Amino acid sequence: MKLGVFVSQYSRENDTLSRLKAEKLGVILVQNGVYNAALKEDGKSSPILDKDATIYALSEDLQSRGLGVGNVDSKVKIVDYDGLVDLIFNEYEKIIWL
Amino acid sequence: MSKLTIGCFSSLVGSMTTDFVVKLAEAARKKGHDVDIWLSGNGTMLSKKGQRSFKDYSSLEKTIKDLVTGGVNVVACEACAEARGFHKEDLIDGFGRKSMDWYLASCFSADRVLQIGGE
Amino acid sequence: MAIKKVAFVVDKLPYKTETSRLALTHAISSQTVEIHLEDGENITPVLAFIGEGVLNCIKGQKASDMYGITSLESHIKNALLTDIRTLICAEDVKRFGLSNDALIMDAEDIGADMVSEIVPFDEIMEEMNTADHILFF
Repeated sequence: MKLGVFVSQYSRENDTLSRLKAEKLGVILVQNGVYNAALKEDGKSSPILDKDATIYALSEDLQSRGLGVGNVDSKVKIVDYDGLVDLIFNEYEKIIWL
Repeated sequence: MSKLTIGCFSSLVGSMTTDFVVKLAEAARKKGHDVDIWLSGNGTMLSKKGQRSFKDYSSLEKTIKDLVTGGVNVVACEACAEARGFHKEDLIDGFGRKSMDWYLASCFSADRVLQIGGE
Repeated sequence: MAIKKVAFVVDKLPYKTETSRLALTHAISSQTVEIHLEDGENITPVLAFIGEGVLNCIKGQKASDMYGITSLESHIKNALLTDIRTLICAEDVKRFGLSNDALIMDAEDIGADMVSEIVPFDEIMEEMNTADHILFF
């Protein structure tokens, strides 16, 4: 299964996300989820970024929160709404929102 | 052309989730995809007409009306709306009001479904 | 004949918000979805409770007496009555120290044949894998 997971909350641990398994996994950080892309608590990046998945963050939600490209971890690909549509239809077969 | 069905169970006033839904629907439509939006729970608030625009709150009525004109189906859960005291006559023109099985039927014909639960 | 499987996955707690309730009511609405579809088309729902969502399945809920609203228990029983496959995550049942006796395992009292199944998370993951769409609540 090619699974795209929208993460909309800021939480360094996400019980459900940590359990999901898929041949191809994408984590798409939106809304407050984008803080996972940029914040380093006590100098450490969010464990979500260590997941064996491609990580994306929504540009509009980063900018809304005062987070620039320079704040975002190098593992994270920044996409806009157009990019989200392409991810949904072209990269993943199923999508869920946590 | 593919179809995206979005289930939105989150509220309009005070929540940015409906902004997300509307922007995603707009982007999908621009790329030529069909889009259905199902509003349930507090998400039904998006379907109520007469919402006054304040800069401090999301105001999506005009944008979503334009989406409906452009072919997006926006349908609100009838029971959820009635439970919140707004009735058929309060519905924005062009929007639908249906029972929950409509959402499942929309999922049936959708290539992708994004179900956004409530708060 | 086209049948599509939709997985309704509940990982939220009940009552504070209506999220898990809406999972149940939407899953049960599959009983009437045919009126919107062509002949031979239908939806097969599967319902799964994972994480904190398994706490929706504790039996003996008195929400009707306390607040005058239908309980999640009555909705889960209605799901069983309408033959919806209902899965409860075994690891989470164990984590919360629950036993089968504490959970809604059947709805015999309202005439349901279907029973709840406590299964490993991997089995629930496989249901998601084989579903056409996954709806998280």
